[in-house]
Formats: sequence, structure tokens, C-alpha cells
Amino acid sequence: MGDAPAEAPAAAPAAGGDFSADQIEDFKEAFGLFDKVGDNQVGYNQVADIMRALGQNPTNGEVKKLLGSPSVEDMANKRMAFDAFLPLLAQQDKVQKGTYDDYVEGLRVFDKEGNGTVLGAELRIVLGTMGEKMKEDEIDALMTGQEDDNGCVNYEAFVKHVMSV
Amino acid sequence: MGCGVTKSSEFCSKKDEKDVPLIAVPAMRAAVLIQRWYRQYVARMEMRRRYTWNIFQSMEYAGEQDQIKLYNFLGYLVDNFTPSSTERNLISHIFRENEVCRDVEWERYFSYENIDVPDIYSGPRLTFPLSVSQVADLVEAFKNKQQLHSRYVLQLLLDTWKLLRILPNINRVSTCQSKEITICGDLHGQLEDLLLIFYKNGMPSLDTPYVFNGDFVDRGKDSIEILLILFAFLLVYPGDVHLNRGNHEDHIINLRYGFTKEVLGKYKLHGKRILKLLQKIFSWLPLATVIDQRVLIVHGGISDTTDLALITRIDRHKYVSALRPPKKKTTLSGGQSSMDSEFDNDSISNMSMQNKRRASVTFSKTFGPRDSFQRRSLQDFSGIVNRTVEEEQEVRRRQGAFLQTGYSCSHRDLKPSFPSESDSDSTDAPDVSNEEWKQILDLLWSDPMSQDGCFPNELRGGGCYWGPNVTEEFLNRHNLQLIIRSHECKQEGYEFCHNRKVLTLFSASNYYEVGSNRGAYIRLGPDLVPYLIQYQASDMTRELTLKQSVGRTERSALKALREQLFVHKTDLLRAFKEYDEDNTGLISLNNWAKAVGTVLHLDLPWRMLRSQLVTLTPNNMLDYHSWFKELSIKDPNVERVEQTVLETLYKHRSTLETIFRIVDTDNSGLISFEDFRQTWRLLSAYLKMEISDEAISDLLISIDTNNDGSIDIEEFMEAFRFVDRNRLERGRSIFNPKDMS
Repeated sequence: MGDAPAEAPAAAPAAGGDFSADQIEDFKEAFGLFDKVGDNQVGYNQVADIMRALGQNPTNGEVKKLLGSPSVEDMANKRMAFDAFLPLLAQQDKVQKGTYDDYVEGLRVFDKEGNGTVLGAELRIVLGTMGEKMKEDEIDALMTGQEDDNGCVNYEAFVKHVMSV
Repeated sequence: MGCGVTKSSEFCSKKDEKDVPLIAVPAMRAAVLIQRWYRQYVARMEMRRRYTWNIFQSMEYAGEQDQIKLYNFLGYLVDNFTPSSTERNLISHIFRENEVCRDVEWERYFSYENIDVPDIYSGPRLTFPLSVSQVADLVEAFKNKQQLHSRYVLQLLLDTWKLLRILPNINRVSTCQSKEITICGDLHGQLEDLLLIFYKNGMPSLDTPYVFNGDFVDRGKDSIEILLILFAFLLVYPGDVHLNRGNHEDHIINLRYGFTKEVLGKYKLHGKRILKLLQKIFSWLPLATVIDQRVLIVHGGISDTTDLALITRIDRHKYVSALRPPKKKTTLSGGQSSMDSEFDNDSISNMSMQNKRRASVTFSKTFGPRDSFQRRSLQDFSGIVNRTVEEEQEVRRRQGAFLQTGYSCSHRDLKPSFPSESDSDSTDAPDVSNEEWKQILDLLWSDPMSQDGCFPNELRGGGCYWGPNVTEEFLNRHNLQLIIRSHECKQEGYEFCHNRKVLTLFSASNYYEVGSNRGAYIRLGPDLVPYLIQYQASDMTRELTLKQSVGRTERSALKALREQLFVHKTDLLRAFKEYDEDNTGLISLNNWAKAVGTVLHLDLPWRMLRSQLVTLTPNNMLDYHSWFKELSIKDPNVERVEQTVLETLYKHRSTLETIFRIVDTDNSGLISFEDFRQTWRLLSAYLKMEISDEAISDLLISIDTNNDGSIDIEEFMEAFRFVDRNRLERGRSIFNPKDMS
């Protein structure tokens, strides 16, 4: 992690990765939105969500690594200012995000009959038991309206839905 | 999920990838991919929800400043206005609001006995004293959208008034016998929420005591029904139902935020009488509740000067409205007696009876220095605050003249009027009233903040912002452990702050828009640990996905924002030109954000909102002239009216509307051309705005669509609304009191 200079845009490129000055202004604004205390900082446990709000999609594990693998207490109590956050964001930005095709390929794995659908139930199990497991209500929220009468999900449509925020 | 069991054992793996059967690796990758994506989706939704929230909240509080403008305008009228003979009537109308008469006369005025209930009336027919089953029937009737007949309304309110008068300023409640107390926050006329709470928690009874923490009325469309239900339960369970006054239990606030309109619409014949009685009732509502001497429940909050002992001793009913502080007696050097005392001598000699009465209505004149209140307001149009001694004397001379010529004359025309009892009490200590008034304002209007300290709440125009250190000191001083307050809408229906020593509770779900927030209520047992229950009224919310619910609220907020931008066009243009010295017609995004934030006085994440509000050139510049064209709304009615007039009218429309309601004394919904002209002339002088008589005439012509020589208040306001009838049907508008359909 490079040193983050105190002033923003002009000196930013060093710490700000490939972000433009305008982008950095945007990030700063979003950062401020998450500061509920008023000290121009956010908690360690908010960093993942702020990154996601800003277009990244790290896993929680990746964020923990970026933060230097903090203890449970540190995650709950420590805070960081924007200047410390920006370089972390820049680093995360280098990680490749999934494309539409990646998602579709990923789901095709479950397409037993090769007909473009997967069983909703199967998807639920996978999401709930593998990787960074999702909770039941999260899975419900995701799957609402996606399963047809037979409990099947057309996964290309699903991915489109998923990516259209 | 039975068929899934075997499969999961195939896929599930806690080892690293090497040990896992080949088929599981892509599955895991797929899972991780989707999970990443999902969490990003949720975070982005949350972000949108947050800034949408910001928008609504900023605009709501900014709107409350209008109250201060109204107050200042009334003050300006009094201080600077020497009425012509015709204008005298108008002014006396404005101040005549509160006729005060003797008890006997009040009872005659509020009498319900000669109000007949027609056979065709199918609503509840109440007999008094009320019984529990009648109250249950009343709730049922309201559930079925019935309306209570005005005869019973008046009777119920009269009984409520009598009861409230014997209640102390601070309710003292205990959780003895393992009773759990239920506490509700703002309801704002949303009957659905109250019914939902009753459904989940049970109706008030000996075993289910309740505290309702103010703001029962305004904005929602069933304010009167909520009041009637709460008062009915209060009457049958006086020891188990406790009501705290909120800042919306105030007749002047009601003029703007919809309650007055609702009552006059539902009760065309007796609405005015009902409102008068409610004025008294509101002023008699207790100010706070204390549970087990440990938990304070109050609508707004506290300040660094809040003193519960002092509050216990106040005559709370003297403080009828936040916008009419008690009058002060002043004497001037140079032997010129204040018009106050002159006035009082007259009236005292006329009506000795008055002093015996504990009048519950204060006829306050806004004479005398209003410095402390004015210092709180963000804008002081009249610039009265710092006057030299000479100016002060001149003003008083004029006030005296005013009184003698116009004001007091019209006063003698009234039935026996009289000074409020604050006169008899305050001869020795003229400042006591103002201090008491501040105590009450602080209780009903304050908001907590995260920094230490305490300073006036300029955003709201009343009360304070108070910090965690003030909470700490206050709790210690009074031997309390928790403050439960309302007054602010919270997304989850509640929010802790100040180290969990302050709990905000809000019970009107979907307050800004369908899906905008949940409501909550508290169960508090002898352990005094608040147990929170959340809910969200309305069938629609269950069917909306997260995305739809956020989107809907967001659209609503942005629409309101766009209106604000349009209305401030002239000021914005000026601000933009300052950044665009070379007159290129372009400004940078950053400067746009700065300008907009400053002109609108709204501290919002403008950059984040830009995709919804502006289109930028490829190098991130904004062509502001064409932007304004995009924003502008076409309304054929007002094409002829100048842009600045239109803007000013729209900006002050709520103030205007309130003033019209005051001017329209017979509540007919119509005011004459002449009244309109005079009012507008006064307003334009006050706003230091040039508007010719011709311009006023043009305005009148375009507004009076049926050419009958009088103006319907509704139609007048329509002219300055954005043409979107659909909006009126569903949801609420920040700018208009809740519309009644």
C-alpha cells in the first residue's frame, strides 16, 4: 500500500491507482454517506460494503486480507479515514470481476439436462453451503420471482437479472 | 429439499480444492461468484436507500423552516404595518383567531346538544360516559372507514378536555405488578399503523398500558380518527393510557401540514368548532412521561437547560403554539408606557371576571422583542433583530398608533376579550414566561447529535441539538437511565444513540413513501430494558422486491428534488455564472455540486445523484442552460406569469397557503380578489419583491378559471403545483399537506 497524501485529487494518482480525480471525488462522497458518527471515518466492518457500493465485488475474505487480517475486536471497533481506504479500493479494483459469461458458465455446471435451466432448490443449497455461505433470507431475497412453477430457474435470465442493478 | 441431501454431500467440502471431487470445483466457483455479486447488489441498494433517505429527511426539515417565515411575517405585519381602513379588517382577521370568552360562553360554543344525528347515520352512536365495548366498536367502525358524527366528536372531545385539565405536566407511571408498558412514537395520521400495533400487541387495557409519544396528527389522512381512538381509550382507562404532546399538536403547525384541512374536509359544518376545541386540548396534553422514575419519554428531547422540576410547575396550557410565544411586558425609558400595559388596563377594567378564569387559550400578540426566537431562525426577512434605541421607540410609537386606530377598535367589537391569565401571573417576572416557553420548545422540538455540546436547532427552527455529554449530565442530575423520544423518522423504526442512553422511536411506517421505512413500538417491563417490535403496514410492501421498493422511494425523492431545483432557478443561475466567468455556459460537476448545495441549503450527496439529475458532456461538464430547459415544467395556466414570481410563490407556497387559510375566516375555501390583492401586497413588501398591481391582476385572471370573482384556495395552489394528478392519488408530497380525496 502506497502512502496516501492528505490532499485529494492532484496527488491522488499515486495512491488512487487508475482512478480519475472525478472518480475519487465520487468515492469520497460515498464514503461520507457511510460515516454515521461524524468523524470522517468508517468502521472496518463497513469497508467491504462501501467497496461493493462503489462497484467492486470482493469476498469478505479478500477484504479481511486487505485490512491486514484484523482480529474480531478490531473488525468491530477500528475505524479508518478515506485516505487509508482509497489505496485498498485501488488494490481491489485490480482483481478481475466476473463477466456475464463467467456467471453463465458457472451456473451451467448445474444444468443437468443442458436445457438452460437449473433447479432452484439446487442453487439454494449451493449458495447456502459453499463459498461464503449466504443466509436463508438472503437466498430468498435473491431468488424471489426467479423460479418457475416447476422450481426451475432459467439461468441466463437469472444472470441478467442479477447484473442489472 | 429432500432430494438435495445426497447432492450436498457430494459438493460440500471443507478441505482445500485438491481434495475435492472434480465436479465440486466449478460449483464452488459458481457459488462464490454469485455470492460476490449478491453482496455487491445489496450494498448498492443500501447506498441508494441511504441517499434517498437523506433527500427526504433534508427536505422535510428544511420545510419546517417555513414555519419560522410565517412567524416572522406575522411579526412584520404587526411591527411595520399601518393599516388603511380596508386593510384593518384583514389584519384583525389574521389576529382574531382566538376569541376568548368566559367558560359559560365556551360551553355554549362547544355545545353538542342541539346537533341532531340523522337516522340515516350508520356510524357509532356513543353514550357517555364511554364504556370499553363502545371504544372497541369505535375502532371497528374506523377500520371500516366510517366517520364519527360531529355530535359525538364534540362530546368526546369535551370529556377529554375535562380529563386532561386535571393531569399533571409529567405523567408518572410504574411497572408494578409485572405490567409491561407499550410505547409508541409518531403516528402522523396513519391509522393503518395504529391498527397494526393494536393487532400485534393488543388494545390498551388494564393489563396493556400504553404511552403515546406525540405527533398523532398531520401528513397522514386519518389524523382525527387516531385522536378519537386515543382519547376514547384515555377516557376509559385513564390510569393506563398516557399521552405526550408532540410538536404537531399545535394548531398553527396543523394549518400547514394537513390536519386542519382534514378536519374541515370531513366535518364541513362543525369543523371549525372541533378545531377550536382541539386547540385547547392540545395545549392541555402532558409534556412528558416518566416510568419508574428511571425512564423519560418525551417527544423531541432535551437541552442543556432542561429542568424537570421547573417543568412540573409550569402552566402548560398557556403555551398554545410554538409560533406564538407568550407576550412580554415591557416598559420603556422616557415615560412611554408600552402598549401592552395600556391595553391591559382597558381590558382589565372591563372584565374583572377574566382573572378568575384559567383561560386555556392565549391571545398572544406578537409585540415586543422576539429576539430569542428570531435568533433561531435561519432567515430573518424583516431584519428587525438589532435595533437602535431610537428605532425601537419609533416602532413602539407606531405600534401604539396601530393599536389605537385599528387593532384595539376591532378588539372592542369582539365579545369580551381578554388578556390571558399570563398577565395576572407575570407582573413580577416578565422573563419567566419566556424561559418556560423555551423549556417546552426544547422538550418538543430538539434532536440528538453525535458531537458533544448543545446549540439551537436552526434547521427545525425550534429546540436544540444536544450531544452525548448533555445526555449524561441530564440523566445523572435527574437520576434517570434512559430517554425515549420520537420526532425523527428512522429506517428501522428505531435507533439508539448516545451510548444507548437515547432511543428514538418512530411508529409511522412507509412515512416518506411506500417501502421507505419500518415502524416500531417498545415493550418495557420492570427490568426497564426496551424490547423493540418492528412492522411495516400496507399489503403492497410484502410484494415489492428490495429493488422495487428502493426504486419507488428513490423516484419519489428525486421528483421532489427536481421540483426544488426548478424553483430555485434564478438563484442557481446566478451561482453558476459565478463559476463560469468566461460565460461558456458550462460548469464542472464539482462546481455544480457546490452551487446546488449552497443555494438549496441541502447537504446531500449531489455527485452521487448526478446521474439522475443531469446529463454531462463527455468531459464531465454541464451545459446549464439546456439543463434548466429539461427541468422546466410546462403549465398553461401560468405561462403569462414571470419566472421569478412563479418561483417565489412556489418557494413560499406553504406559507402562502397557511396565510390564506387564516384569511379565509369562514372556512368557505374562497377569498375575495381584494383580500388576495392585499395579502399579496403585504407579502411582496415583506419579501422585498417588486410586484406591480398589473402583475397581480394577471395572476388573478389566470387563476380564476370560472370567473366568479373569488378565488378557491385549492385552485390557487393548483396553479403552482406541478401538473401531475397521478401523484395526488397515491403517496404523499413533501410540499403539500396530505391531500384528501
